[in-house]
Order: sequence, then structure tokens, then C-alpha cells
Amino acid sequence: MYNINFDVIAQAAPQLIQGIKTTIFISVISSVCAFIIGLVIVFMRTMGGSLLKAIGAIYVEIIRNTPMLIQLYFVYKALPDLGLFLHPIACGIIALSLYTGAYISEVLRSGVNSVTSQQYEAARGLGLNKWQTFRLIIFPQAIRIVIPPLGSQFINLVKNSSLVSFIAVTDLFYFIYKGAVDDFRFFEFFIAGAFVYMTLTGIIAVIFNRIEKMFKLHGREARV
Amino acid sequence: MTHWADVINNLGFLMKGLLITLELAFIAILGSLMLGTFLGITRYLRLPFFSLISASYIEFARSIPLILFIVFIHFGFLPYFFPGTESSFFLSSCIALIIFTSAYVAEIIRGGLNSIEKGHIDAARSLGLSRIQRLKHIILPLAFQRMMPALVSQFIALIKDTSLASTIGLIELTRAGEIIYERTYHEFEILIFIAFVYFIICFSLSRLSKVLETKPYAKLQSM
Repeated sequence: MYNINFDVIAQAAPQLIQGIKTTIFISVISSVCAFIIGLVIVFMRTMGGSLLKAIGAIYVEIIRNTPMLIQLYFVYKALPDLGLFLHPIACGIIALSLYTGAYISEVLRSGVNSVTSQQYEAARGLGLNKWQTFRLIIFPQAIRIVIPPLGSQFINLVKNSSLVSFIAVTDLFYFIYKGAVDDFRFFEFFIAGAFVYMTLTGIIAVIFNRIEKMFKLHGREARV
Repeated sequence: MTHWADVINNLGFLMKGLLITLELAFIAILGSLMLGTFLGITRYLRLPFFSLISASYIEFARSIPLILFIVFIHFGFLPYFFPGTESSFFLSSCIALIIFTSAYVAEIIRGGLNSIEKGHIDAARSLGLSRIQRLKHIILPLAFQRMMPALVSQFIALIKDTSLASTIGLIELTRAGEIIYERTYHEFEILIFIAFVYFIICFSLSRLSKVLETKPYAKLQSM
């Protein structure tokens, strides 16, 4: 009979904590980069000319219709063929940001599309240029309604960050898998890994609930 | 940049891998649709005990990376509970994909069922249909039409996720490509080709879902 014994987790704790740190580091930097990419793409697709619109659309379609793992391998294994050598962590951050950025731009675009066209006309009537219209009029209204789906994209980012262990980054999943194989203790390490990932994604969910409440307009419910 | 011969010479091997990818995706889609519908309906009906079970299952499966399921089911759970399945890569990746995707499908199903207007349910009730009959003949067909776009995009995600089965050694499209470029060291061409194949499949599916999305409305307008 298999005896569940959590001492092995305690022994592996220093490594696991190091892995958690790497995972958080990669996730935080990628989150920021992905949000910036998403913003740029959505600005290109709403305010840009036909060329910028086409570039944005092609980027989003290519990224969303190919697996993240292939993109990660591409950055890590194919870019050196072209003469570009990067640190594995940098490769992971680039691939994660590009992948999540496309999804974030789609989420933001659904918010931007919900802003009525009168808002654009009013902004033009006030003499605002495209960037000002986007920054001052469209974006503040759009971001409010897309906070919950935005949160789930960041949760997906943390989950997808586990794939960087396949390009030799020693993140949380790497140490969980290593611990499980070294000690042949699959149940304990699976439970530990599940617990840590659930905690990380739970923290993001709580943060986004807070943000949603912060951005909520008072009195809007009464009108409906 | 003239190693495209690698792709052409190994096209047969890559297509064999593609076949495995499609088989895996097809079985996992069927499995997750069945399990997901069951879980979604138990949550929608608020069955006292099952609802709690499926709610916690959904939360659990949705907050853990898929790769954790694939690796631990393949190397840990399956060999322990069913000795002799150590090399059944297809089975373990299939189980992991079903466990992971069915949680998302269940949430889509529940959302679709909840979106049905009260009027339909009242009308069905006034016709004397029982709870199960209402669900089977009125609510589910209506809801499935609305859920189609979300379901298709979830299944596109599943097709992309089958690439993770390469990490445990199932020779599907991604692993087939890896085997080739581990021999030739020309990663660029092979990876571009694999990405292109995935793109064709997923992009055409997403176009199909756009067509399905507009169809019910087109029918309404013509009436």
C-alpha cells in the first residue's frame, strides 16, 4: 500500500520556493509586457489605418491559432538558427508575452467595441487627436467592463508559465517534476504543485475582484 | 535558409503525427463534451450533493496547468492504479485533456443554460413537460445553439493543447517534428511547418464557428 508521506515535500521546500520565485518573476514581467502588447495591438486595430489594422489582425490570428509550446520552441530553438541567442528565461518571457498579449488585445477590443460611436464623434468635436481620444475617452470606458476576462487571461498566463520548464528554465513545475521523479513520490508532489498553483491563481482572482470593485461606477446598478 | 527539403523528405512521418494529433483531439473533444455537459447540467439543476462535487472539480481543474495533469497522470496515477499502462501515452494524454477541458466545457454549458429566458421555461412548464423533458427538448437545444462559438473556441484550445502530449513522448505532430530536427538541427523550417499545419486546422475551425454563429440569426431574419 502506498503511504502518503509529506516529509518529502518539506525536504524539497527550499527548491520549491526557488521555483515559486522564478515562476512569479516570469509571470509578473510577462504580465506587464503582455498588457503593453495588448494595448498597442488594440490601439492599432481601433485607431490605425488599414495597414496597421491588417498587421494587428494577422498577428492576433497567427498567435491564437498556433500552440504556445511551438511558439516557445520557436523562440528558444529556431531564433539561434537566425543568429539570435537569448537566455532561456528571456525566451520564456518573450513567448509568454507574445502569446498572452494577443489574447489580452482581443479582450480589450471587445471592451472598445462596446463603446458607442457617438463617443468618437464627440471626442473629434472637442478637437482631440487619435491618441488622446483613445487614452482619455475610449480606454477608460472599455477597461471597466473587461476586468473579469482580463483577470482570467492573467490566470492563464501563470498556468502557461509552467511550459518554460521545457526550455531549461528551473521554474516551479521543473522542481515539482524533478522532486516527483527523484523520490518517486508522485502523489505528494502533485498535491503540492496543485496547491501552489491554486494559491497563485487564487491570489490573482482576489486582486481582480478588488480592482473590479474599485472601478465600479456608483449608482449604475440603480439605473438599470 | 534552404532546408525546406527536411520538411518534404519527412512529410510522411509528419502526416502520421498529424493523424495521431487529430485522433487524440477528436476523442478528447467527444469525452470532454460528454463529461462537461454532465457536470454543467448538475450545476444548473443545483442537485444537492453532485452540484457541490462538480463545482469543486471545476474550480480545481481550472486553476492547475494542463501539463501537471498530463505528466502526473502518465507517470504517477495511471501506472499506480492500472499496472501495465506505463507506455500508454495516448490513453494518459487523452484522460488528462478530458479532465482539463471538461471543466471549461461545463462552465460554458452552465452559462448557456442560464442564458435561456424565463419565458421559454414557463411556456414549456405550461405545456406540462417535466423537468427532464424541459431540459431535453427545450432548454438544451436552445442553449447549444448559443454556446456553439464558445465551445468551438474551447475545442480549438484543446487542439492546440494536444501539442503538450509531446512532452511525455506521444509521437504526435509536435513530437514528430522534434524527432526530425533533433537529427538534422534545422529547427526553423520544421517549426514553421508545424505551426502552419496547426494554424490551418484551428483557423478553419474558427471560421466555421463564425458561420455557425450567424446561421440562426439568418434563419430568424428570413422568417
